Amino acid sequence: MSQIVGPFELAAKAAFYVVAAGTLAGAWAAVSARNLFRAALGLAVALFGVAILYLFLEAEFLAVAQILVYVGAILTLLIFGVMLTARIADPAVPRWNRQAGVTLALTAVLGLGLAHLLARTPWIVRAGSEPVKLPVLGQTLLSTYLLPFELLSVLLLGALVGAIFIARKEKE
Amino acid sequence: MIIPLPHFLVVSALLFALGIFGALTRRNAIGILMSIELILNSANLNFVAFGRAWGAPDGAPQVVALIVIGIAAAGAVVGLALVLAIYRHRQTISADEIKLLKG
Repeated sequence: MSQIVGPFELAAKAAFYVVAAGTLAGAWAAVSARNLFRAALGLAVALFGVAILYLFLEAEFLAVAQILVYVGAILTLLIFGVMLTARIADPAVPRWNRQAGVTLALTAVLGLGLAHLLARTPWIVRAGSEPVKLPVLGQTLLSTYLLPFELLSVLLLGALVGAIFIARKEKE
Repeated sequence: MIIPLPHFLVVSALLFALGIFGALTRRNAIGILMSIELILNSANLNFVAFGRAWGAPDGAPQVVALIVIGIAAAGAVVGLALVLAIYRHRQTISADEIKLLKG
């Protein structure tokens, strides 16, 4: 990618800033919207934005997995949860608890401080490194990291059974 | 990389701070779940950005990110099941109205 020059690079940079701003705006909507359904839509924008950021990092498989799992599955689940529990749009229900002001100030300091630190640190970057090819990623996932992969499938099975057990109707 | 590494790190840090803010202040339990998803996403973004900058040849950072996505899915499923169970029993999912254990 390093041999690309001129207008394409400029367009890519502009696109990056637009996507990053959209991601953060979506995240802000997700944590601040009074209507929980709108918060879920903001979360969708943020998750989609992160998927596009993965594309900027040349991690195509991860971008597709992000859209499939997060936007496709988790978000649908969250919206189901929002709709099954009433009073989502009631303006009388405060969206934040009483510590919101203090927490907003503290987390703003945390976020901006972290951003400042991370932007100033001279990171060691290997120039001209190639993006990971999909076959290599598959090889790694199913050889070196086979145990966590299998453990994850067991965890998902446990979550499936546990969720059904917790959420089912109890017999009177 | 066309975009320098710190740009991704700044986006990730701000996403993390927003997620922490939501998780600490949201009254609605589903809102808290959403904020936790934001935090996990920011961590994932960091993993992948550092992996790309370092040029990890076997793609281990992406594998870690994939596993985190899977664990986040499991967490969301169990969390929502708990929220629905609590709603059925108490008719509320406000985190500060659920205080059965408070003496």
